[in-house]
Amino acid sequence: MYTLRKKCGSIGKHGLLVLLSLLAVFPLYWMVVSSFKNQGEIFGTAFWPAAPTLENYTYAFEQMPISRMLLNSFIIAIAMTALQLLTSILAAYALTRWQFKGRGILYTMLTLTWLIPAQATMIPNYIQVNEWGLQGNPLAIVLPFAASAFAVISMYQGFNQFPRALIDAARLDGAGEWQILTRVVLPPMKATISSLGILLFINSWNEYLWPMLVTKKLESAPIQIGIKSFVSSDVNMWGSLMAATTISCLPILIIYIILQRHIVDSFMKWGIK
Amino acid sequence: MGAITIQHIVKNFSRDIQVLKDLELQIEDGSFTVLLGPSGCGKSTLLRIIAGLETPTSGRVLLDGQDITDTEPGQRQLAMVFQNYALYPHMTAEQNVEYGLKIKKVPKEERRRRVQDALAMVELGDQAQKRPAQMSGGQRQRVALARALVKSPKVFLMDEPLSNLDAKLRNQMRVKISQLYRQLGSTFLYVTHDQVEAMSMGTDIVILNQGKIMQRGTPQQIYTDPQNTFVAGFIGSPPCNILPWNRGSVAIRPEEVRTAGTGEPGLTMPAKILSTEQLGDDSIYLLSTPLGQMKMKRPCNWQQQEEEIRILLPAEKLYFFDEQGDRIPSTDTLRQDFSLYLGHCNMASRAVAD
Repeated sequence: MYTLRKKCGSIGKHGLLVLLSLLAVFPLYWMVVSSFKNQGEIFGTAFWPAAPTLENYTYAFEQMPISRMLLNSFIIAIAMTALQLLTSILAAYALTRWQFKGRGILYTMLTLTWLIPAQATMIPNYIQVNEWGLQGNPLAIVLPFAASAFAVISMYQGFNQFPRALIDAARLDGAGEWQILTRVVLPPMKATISSLGILLFINSWNEYLWPMLVTKKLESAPIQIGIKSFVSSDVNMWGSLMAATTISCLPILIIYIILQRHIVDSFMKWGIK
Repeated sequence: MGAITIQHIVKNFSRDIQVLKDLELQIEDGSFTVLLGPSGCGKSTLLRIIAGLETPTSGRVLLDGQDITDTEPGQRQLAMVFQNYALYPHMTAEQNVEYGLKIKKVPKEERRRRVQDALAMVELGDQAQKRPAQMSGGQRQRVALARALVKSPKVFLMDEPLSNLDAKLRNQMRVKISQLYRQLGSTFLYVTHDQVEAMSMGTDIVILNQGKIMQRGTPQQIYTDPQNTFVAGFIGSPPCNILPWNRGSVAIRPEEVRTAGTGEPGLTMPAKILSTEQLGDDSIYLLSTPLGQMKMKRPCNWQQQEEEIRILLPAEKLYFFDEQGDRIPSTDTLRQDFSLYLGHCNMASRAVAD
């Protein structure tokens, strides 16, 4: 009796989880299916296109330098991720390793910057980038995001858990600070760094508002800006919009399929979704 | 050479926490010196100051007469073995041992030879390509030993290196470290809170408590000639019974407490057995006496049927301490004085019983 009730409970719970998963996946499915529908079908409720067509993709590629924008997105996301990892590793190492005056205050201030909304820093950043003459340059997208408080906090936690005795052993072996960091501390933390890297890459890839402010031409813009141009006040090209969106999601989907376990681990590890 | 001189070392961790209090110590070249003391006594801090991993608040550290207080740890010609091995997890045993030599830019050929020799000394020649995670605790600690050996240091510093091992491995490693000490003839400075390790390995024991040296001597001296109540109450298993006395306190080892009636000279008093602890060869009896509770260690073939017994304290085995807990030389007058005190306590306890 007890086993039967337990089994029913388990089926019920799993059923609910499957339903919630379907709800989460449905928009993605709808996006992909709609991208293969023709103009007449696009507002229909059919779960599968009656006559699947690639015309939305052809149109999107004709109208937009999609390959170029995908490449831009890649370059920007990789540069942002690399810079954020570099600055966070150096900052977190200094904050955990060295006992200096004002260390606590500095860390608190860094943590607090995480709470400042991006909109509040957008205008000062915009003015700064313009002063540097970087308007329209991909560097303008990357530079203001070269350091991330979230990345510093995450690395700080990682370094704090690193066994001190290993650093002591390296100091007795005669290693200097740079050698300790690169040869002793970072190699065992590969998993932590790559999981943080995955999150930073996904965040950078999805960046929209800031790149839109500082890019002038579609050729130098990331894919997210290109997608928006299918939506205008006059006509909404829903089919092509879905095709471009599907293309923009593909790299992340491919990365997700390859690194599925690592990505889930990183979400669990850093406690975000 | 590898003589260490500690001059007036003070270490404060904050304004209120003073871990080492003006410590003076000379560690002889070629000695196996053990720093022994309870947790928090400052022994590991002292070792870390000698290694250069902590900076003293004041005082100097000399190695062979040369001031090394401000020298970088890697330049001190010392090697250290840590409690939790501190092996680099991403490197093989060989790479772990080799790393220090690589940093010092020792030529590849010489490096290889020295690494092989060091691993062979700890009998790990065939495990060179394994990573720490693939090794047992004992093997890891031997890699840590090899990492110290390969540097041919003047002094080996060991910070409770056997605490993470099980009892059987601990015994094996004790023998191994003693063998290495005899083989190398270098100075060994060993930190532990385990007196069995200290007594069995050390040639010189320094007992620390609350940042101060309580006593220093050979294992035999420490055991047979405690200079204060702390050492008497710390060394031995179980340690000395410390009994009250009108001029301070008196201590006697549980193994020296006898049963009366054998004709042996000494002071006698009644005792009640409260509990018995079987240790295999010996048994430890917890007794209630007119001087308070005390322990008696007897061979386990000693059969005691009754709960009420009379015990005898051989007068020459008693240690006398003043009110500050410092040892005072045993004299006939002191023994008589204690005998009178004991007689008075015996009478008082009889009066209470009646």
